[in-house]
Amino acid sequence: MPIQNIASAAIPNTPLARGHAVPWSERLRSPAAARLYVIAALLILWEIFARFIVDPLFSAPPSQVFGNMGALLARPGVVEALMLTLGELAAAFVLAILIGLVIGLAVGSTRFSKRAFFPVLMMLYGIPQVTILPILILTFGIGPMSKIVFGVTHGMFPVIIATVASMNNLKPIFRTSAWAMGASRWQTFRYVLLPHMVPGFFTGLRLAMSGVLIGVLLGELYASSKGIGHFTQMFSDNFDQVNLLGIVLIVAAIAMVFNAIVRRVELYFSRWRA
Amino acid sequence: MSRSSLLDKLLVLLTWVVCLLLIYWAWREATGEGGVSITLLPAPDAVFKELGHILSTGAFIEPWEVTFYECVMAFSWAASVGLALGYVISRSTYLVQVFEPLLASLFTVPMVLFFPLCVLYFGLGPNSKIVFGFSVAFFPIVLAAISGFASVESGFVQAARSMGATRWQMFHLVLVPAAFPVVLSGLRMGAVLTFLSVLGSETLGSLEGLGHAIHNASMDMNPAEMYAYIIIVIVIAALLNLSLGVIEAIGNRRYGVTEGE
Amino acid sequence: MSSPQPDDLAIQVENATMQFGKEGSSLFVNALLETSLTVKKGEFLCLIGPSGCGKSTLMNLMGGLLTATSGSVDVMGQAINGPMPDKIAFVFQENSLFPWNTIAENIDVGLKFRGVEKAERARRTKESLASVGLSEFADHYPRQLSGGMRQRAALARALSLETDIILMDEPFGALDEQTRMIMGEDLSHLMARTGKTIIFVTHSLGEAVYLADRVAIFSARPGRIKRIIDVNESHPRLPSFVTSEKFVNLRNELYRELHDEMAKATPHSNKIATVSADGAQLSSEDELA
Repeated sequence: MPIQNIASAAIPNTPLARGHAVPWSERLRSPAAARLYVIAALLILWEIFARFIVDPLFSAPPSQVFGNMGALLARPGVVEALMLTLGELAAAFVLAILIGLVIGLAVGSTRFSKRAFFPVLMMLYGIPQVTILPILILTFGIGPMSKIVFGVTHGMFPVIIATVASMNNLKPIFRTSAWAMGASRWQTFRYVLLPHMVPGFFTGLRLAMSGVLIGVLLGELYASSKGIGHFTQMFSDNFDQVNLLGIVLIVAAIAMVFNAIVRRVELYFSRWRA
Repeated sequence: MSRSSLLDKLLVLLTWVVCLLLIYWAWREATGEGGVSITLLPAPDAVFKELGHILSTGAFIEPWEVTFYECVMAFSWAASVGLALGYVISRSTYLVQVFEPLLASLFTVPMVLFFPLCVLYFGLGPNSKIVFGFSVAFFPIVLAAISGFASVESGFVQAARSMGATRWQMFHLVLVPAAFPVVLSGLRMGAVLTFLSVLGSETLGSLEGLGHAIHNASMDMNPAEMYAYIIIVIVIAALLNLSLGVIEAIGNRRYGVTEGE
Repeated sequence: MSSPQPDDLAIQVENATMQFGKEGSSLFVNALLETSLTVKKGEFLCLIGPSGCGKSTLMNLMGGLLTATSGSVDVMGQAINGPMPDKIAFVFQENSLFPWNTIAENIDVGLKFRGVEKAERARRTKESLASVGLSEFADHYPRQLSGGMRQRAALARALSLETDIILMDEPFGALDEQTRMIMGEDLSHLMARTGKTIIFVTHSLGEAVYLADRVAIFSARPGRIKRIIDVNESHPRLPSFVTSEKFVNLRNELYRELHDEMAKATPHSNKIATVSADGAQLSSEDELA
């Protein structure tokens, strides 16, 4: 998925990154500063729209939304709902990695198993999973279990695909080279195939994180008794814009942080790559 | 070599057939006497009977038309806005440096969170699905447009300039073909995401459409109908993927790009 | 050449034939045909010839990476089947350094494969890096080095294995001309210092003459050795050797030998070849007659 890799194309050489010897005039014009202006401009536009143009029933200005965050978090059950959702995310992520890794290793280990089962897995991955959400809710109830399962079904496929792909795209010269130096089968696996697989695997983890987020949150919004879905439902039923926007922004921020962490880990483990 | 690969293919085919039979057998066994509750998993015969009914009465046409309309609208908006904006941004390194990281990090936000807001603003009708589909599909398209148009090899541009290309010639004879594969894969991803998000939003909150049909059948405790609609959606998704793959291959061949490059 | 004693022999190839694919099938390739060759200990032997003439095939046979369809290959008097990492080290044309390891780790891991103790591994890593002038780059990753430095590191890895024989398959093929010259000079110094047996596949006439004690010229497919030219010049060879009459004569001789083989290997270039290489063409016709 080359598109998602674009996220990595951060620009390390902006004047800001080079340290403090940069004059202020230049700093103020740096892309990083300009990004802040863009965000500020969007917030101001939003504020103006919400205050003067749109019916307050349908929108809330950011000043109110952010000012209300403390009260929102103080509401009984909100912090618990956030923790529950975080727990669902963590459980789904871990399970997706474990299940994906096991299936990926099994499928990728021989040429035959790869040819026989990989297309089937790709086909399953292509199924719009939201169609089975009602079944999962019927089967596992509206508690955390259905969200975890739905997160896992979204998250495990990227792990499988990344594992199989990275098992199979080792350049033959590395295998030949290890063989010529007398490496045993185990040594070839341990010192050649395994380190080669690491970056691809972590790319899979990053995609798995996006998948798990979508799966768990979709499940939450569809039907929830105690998670954040319960609150989004309640706030939108009451046209409580301030709280609805508040909780949505909190979860969005958590999602961004999670993605950023996985991205960092991925970069760390692929630092030897170009 | 050719003989062994034929054998290989046969073996693979055989595995698939065996898997399918196993699944069908397990499904029948599970739904037999003393098996899984019928509300969770109806017998295969019941599902296929319902599927035949839906297909013969044409009951699926109306929800399909709604879903199709929403997808087309959402994708058209995402594609036109995404491509135009991406192209404009790509023309300046500074703009790329400002907007690309911003858009890339927004792409990591699960847009589904904002669906309740969409419903509040645009109602339960198709408009909320179109806006939501747009908000999901827009990001991969604009990011692909930026990366495709911004990373055209400078050698191509220089060569064209040295031969005296006009601005328009530069655009449609150099930039577009050079950026084509990346942009096309972004559009493909956008199309898939449009379909998924429209379906998802129909399941979450809607009055019509295929996603709603599935949700409705599950609420009505009519699992056979639910499974029949799931099968219909899966077939549509498979056809969509297949045709997008064909379109991408044709497009890439048109500009002389071979697979895997 | 006096017939060598068995003790002096590093590698002995007898009537080796290498075929790929089944006879009659479209994929069938007769890569090497009944080739015999002996390599003496401490000798620098270059294999040169048109693309696809089987020189790399012969090298892979000698290294045990391939097994001959018929014929035999003995290394140090022992029949070969499979790599002999205690006797033979490789330097490949393609970058074969593991990209996930630093330069030092790359050398270390090879020694690990050989079962070398930790302290000894550290010593050899340090020494071999020093001998190719890369001590300062021990902790760099391969991608951080230039192509020439990467090939130096690959050579260091081969040296660290402390084998008597090193097989080098177009090791400088991807490098630019200037870097190649420097690498060649260093390699000649290494020859003088260590007395290793080196077999070296190359496309470059100058490189072959500059480095080799003997140059084996291959004919076009099916590959076989057409002629062996001696270069009687002691290592280390100095840059001045390149401008000497001896060098130029040997290089011209090589050029003549190779020219019609090249033309055979690439049929459509025949016409141009006749026009542009008059002198060479005459002499090769003489030979054919």
